[in-house]
Amino acid sequence: MTDPSSAHPPQIDRRALLVGGGAAFAGLLGFAGVREMTASRSRLFLAGGQDYSGDLVRTIRDGLSAVQLNTAELAGKTVLLKPNMVEPTRAAPHMTTNPAVLRAAAEVFRGFGARVVVGEGPGHVRDTDYALFGARLDEVIRDERLTFADLNYEAVAWRDNGGRATKLAGFHFPESVLAADLIVSLPKLKTHHWVGVTAGMKNLYGVIPGCVYGWPKNVLHYAGIPESIFDINASLPRAIVIVDGIECMQGDGPIMGSPKQLGMIAVGTNPAAVDATCARIIGLDPHRVPYLKLAAGKLGPIHDRWIEQRGESWESLQSPFELIDWPHIQKLKARGGPLVT
Amino acid sequence: MTVESTLAARPLVNFLAKVGRWGYHPAGPTFAEPAAFAALALLDLDAEAAEQPLRFLAGAQQGDGSVAVVRGVPEPAWTTSLAVLAWASSGRDEFHDAIERGVDWLESVEGTTLEGDFDARHDATLVGWPWVQGTHSWCEPTAFALLALRAAGRGDSPRALEAEKLLADRLLPEGGCNYGNTMVLGQMLRPHIQPTGLALWALAGVDAADVRIEKSIVYLEDTTSPLLPPTSLAFALIGLTLQGRRPADADAWIAEWEKRPEFSRLGVYKAALLLLGAAPNRPLGSLGTKS
Repeated sequence: MTDPSSAHPPQIDRRALLVGGGAAFAGLLGFAGVREMTASRSRLFLAGGQDYSGDLVRTIRDGLSAVQLNTAELAGKTVLLKPNMVEPTRAAPHMTTNPAVLRAAAEVFRGFGARVVVGEGPGHVRDTDYALFGARLDEVIRDERLTFADLNYEAVAWRDNGGRATKLAGFHFPESVLAADLIVSLPKLKTHHWVGVTAGMKNLYGVIPGCVYGWPKNVLHYAGIPESIFDINASLPRAIVIVDGIECMQGDGPIMGSPKQLGMIAVGTNPAAVDATCARIIGLDPHRVPYLKLAAGKLGPIHDRWIEQRGESWESLQSPFELIDWPHIQKLKARGGPLVT
Repeated sequence: MTVESTLAARPLVNFLAKVGRWGYHPAGPTFAEPAAFAALALLDLDAEAAEQPLRFLAGAQQGDGSVAVVRGVPEPAWTTSLAVLAWASSGRDEFHDAIERGVDWLESVEGTTLEGDFDARHDATLVGWPWVQGTHSWCEPTAFALLALRAAGRGDSPRALEAEKLLADRLLPEGGCNYGNTMVLGQMLRPHIQPTGLALWALAGVDAADVRIEKSIVYLEDTTSPLLPPTSLAFALIGLTLQGRRPADADAWIAEWEKRPEFSRLGVYKAALLLLGAAPNRPLGSLGTKS
């Protein structure tokens, strides 16, 4: 069992942050590096050796404690759990967030006194009931009497684009998303055949309503996938991430890849930091992943020295995923072995 | 008893006739698509009840002839197809102008095309209809537009004939279709039930020599069962029925939904589709399908 209080502090001399030393250091890092460095430190919790039949409630609760989420403030608030259900089929459970993870997360947040809503807008199938059935999440929603918000078919409201990496002026978000006090991105950790990796940030494509953006959400593709990932995350209310990294997808993700056993749950209060760490674990260099490059210093840190790690180290969990043999993905690979960041 | 009188006595009709607003979910706002399907489902069963969503759609028609997905959000307007289909299917003169304006708008919309080296098996030069203007064409909006053009008497137009070609092109080699991709980065994708049912509805009467149409019918026959959720079940039954392959137990499957505890929580969209699935030949067999 991982010790949530154990930490892997960043190896940076605090003197470098003082004005005098900072200027010289900034010259070495460049502006983006300084911006990332001086952004809020992000905490991340990693737990290995997990399986779906284990005590995921405890793992998630420990993780939230380790990253110091203020759970006391959640009493009476609305928490939206957002699993990944892009195009489910019972023949490929490694494509979607496992029901055990959703069930555990719901129990944890209900234990904090929150009102829990499960919400998703599958990107490739219009029949959300069919998607729930394929992902087996209908069983969790029924058994636990959870409220489900079909994000593809709700009333929407406009929010200006908080990122501006695309030319989109803003987004129509579903009312359940905007009403949430906290969004919990519950992705399945997978490779992605266009952007390299899909985890907490890319999972939030699913809060964009299909009735306005289509199936697939082609508007976002035309706007630029990395750029729209960045913009959506920059435009949303507060979000944290709990990653289902137990049985993942490698190869031709996010739909047609093969299973990859990793046994990991990741919890973090900063989606960019979580995704960067997940990228490292699967063998990618986050600084080469376009949407993470955009996010660095603006939405959160991606360099591991600015990510305060609790639980197990990412290095101990690293297990390179198979990647499709296309140049735009191969160039995202980390160089030089497991310890390269 | 006639088919209509039998159907008119069903709980589905009673539910749709009384609901008063047309949303995807019971507590949700009105959207154009559920309104259109409610109108289609009620047409010759409860004329007064059908009039309400038809007039709602007419009232929602915008200055350019389009009918947006939801009022207050001018785009997208892929639901213009469904409004035209519903108005044309009603046969009522009062909607003649709305139909003409809607068709004019539909014919002005094109999916973006892609030329050259492009990693997907489908013919990306076919125009079709997108979900949102300025994006690529996909199966369902193209199918809806094709059905609308036929219902409005434009089934032989170049756009309609190309739409037939596009829908056939997006069928997977082993049958069925999904949202509209076949192969991506060298990997063949999976079919889905709802778009396959809709594609087979739109391709009913089109040249069946294309083996992918028969394979798509077989895919639906193999995957359609009472375990399906209502939307996929309805589209599957509509597609199979209009292709002359209605499952023997289809009526029982629909009737079973009316007995379920969750029937009252279905919402207009699902209820309307189930009612259409109960007897698709009645409203759809002569309208929207190729004669």
